Amino acid sequence: MNLAFLDLGLSTSNGNVTLGSVLEFILILSFSTLLAKILSLYLRRSLKDRVSKDIRETVIKLLYYGILTIVFFSNLPLIGINPSGLLLAGGVAGIVLGFASQNIVGNLVSGVFLMAERPIKIGDQVQINDVSGYVTDIRIISTLIRTYDGLLVRIPNQQVFTTNITNIVGHPVRRFEYTIRIRYSDDANAAIFLIKDLIDKEPFALLNPSPSVFVNDLADSSVNITVRIWAPVNEWFGIKTRILWNIKQSLEENGIEIPLPQRIVRIQTDAKKIPEELMPEKEIESVLNYEDRVLA
Amino acid sequence: MLYSYIKKFKDLQKNVNSRDIMYGYYDPPFSVEQEGISISVERNGEQWIYRRTLEADTVEKVILGNGKHLIINPVEPLNTPKEITPNLLIEFEKTLLLSGGAKRKIFLTFPIEIGIFISDKGNKNLQLLDVLSLVRQKFTLYGEVSYGVICKHWKSKIYSTSPSPSPLHEGIMELTLRNTSSDWASISKVVFSAYGMKLYYEGDVFMRAHMDILNRNTAETGFELQHINGELKSNPLKDFKARKEAFGVYSLQKLGIVPTKFYMGWGF
Repeated sequence: MNLAFLDLGLSTSNGNVTLGSVLEFILILSFSTLLAKILSLYLRRSLKDRVSKDIRETVIKLLYYGILTIVFFSNLPLIGINPSGLLLAGGVAGIVLGFASQNIVGNLVSGVFLMAERPIKIGDQVQINDVSGYVTDIRIISTLIRTYDGLLVRIPNQQVFTTNITNIVGHPVRRFEYTIRIRYSDDANAAIFLIKDLIDKEPFALLNPSPSVFVNDLADSSVNITVRIWAPVNEWFGIKTRILWNIKQSLEENGIEIPLPQRIVRIQTDAKKIPEELMPEKEIESVLNYEDRVLA
Repeated sequence: MLYSYIKKFKDLQKNVNSRDIMYGYYDPPFSVEQEGISISVERNGEQWIYRRTLEADTVEKVILGNGKHLIINPVEPLNTPKEITPNLLIEFEKTLLLSGGAKRKIFLTFPIEIGIFISDKGNKNLQLLDVLSLVRQKFTLYGEVSYGVICKHWKSKIYSTSPSPSPLHEGIMELTLRNTSSDWASISKVVFSAYGMKLYYEGDVFMRAHMDILNRNTAETGFELQHINGELKSNPLKDFKARKEAFGVYSLQKLGIVPTKFYMGWGF
């Protein structure tokens, strides 16, 4: 087989670049990409139960792109480019590239800062702008969020980095609150005792920071009891829904009811009880007297 | 005189050992029932059915394969109702004061969870089948809201000699307190990491731990891993006894480098 065509070349300042060396460059890059992918896969499997997902993915990404960068730059002489020359040209090329791909570079830099500062991690529940959900991946250019209703939202890293991020699971515990309304005729102390007893029986309602249950408001139709409970951040929603219904059931079982909004209307039927000064005859009489005395 | 003394101890030891607890090795089919817990493995055609009942809670699993046996033993108290933390906080009923440079041994109780494992003969290929608990479950936060750690909570009296709690409910912890500072230490709680826990059982459930007080606010806790041959001087009953090492849920997990000690940086 005649392979002489591989020697066809182009002379550059860094020597002669042949078709063979270009093919070699492509082959090395392809092989390195394959090797980096295999290594990533192996690391992903072997570190699965040992390292948390966010650290694992960051390490794998750094390794993957690190291998490709090193291989790419170390093999540039094969295609007639001197890497040290790139450093000189880098300044000018950087400016040109910067203007040409401002958004991409901005997202890329933001991605690097997101990985370094780590305000969010893979698996966290976050709210970024109006998007709430789980962080499924932090990529070089964008961050992927799976919303609570299962939609995939891709947010550019620049937007993530420059906007307010609420990390719902940023701290190990969080507090939630209820307002329980009882009738004025009910014993508020008994209601507080029953609620505290329910909280005590709930494993995930934390002992410290301690829960608080107190009468917070004497409202129009009810005595309002505020209930504040701290819970592990990954368990709070389940407890919140469970305890509320248990409180309702427990109070009702003990004769304490949650009142509907109400207004007391008194209809007076006994005329004798109307104060004399409000009697209409007297008002008319005084008016008549006034006319008699002054206007007549 | 000496003979009667030894005989008396052996009789007492026999009583302790014969305490009817369900911990041990079982070959199917079998059925065991105690304190409201009912565990059985029955043959159903080519399959085995594992069935566990505790009050209204029932667990049923199908086991395929013969020649297996089941191990029921105490495990780290951090798996029920859900494994959310590897840390156990034991709060003392009364605050304890330890003088500077002192080293003292105390006994505490800790909650027990009962683990049911399935394995091949020779305890190979151990697999956790079920975990249950008879004691109150409660969690707490150790440290600050921002950076603290969630812990399983347990309240214990401080004993100077080994107590005798029900082995299905509570275990005995021998805790060696070492105050390496020159100041008095006021201790009201101790936190442990489950990754270092080693439980031993035989009539009772036992664990040996230490707490080194480094300064006014910090301490380090850990467990003694060597096998215990019952050399508890405070309880002569156990001098004759060698406890079995329990299989742990945490020791089954394929873990990387995890610290087995716990650094108490938010006071004790």
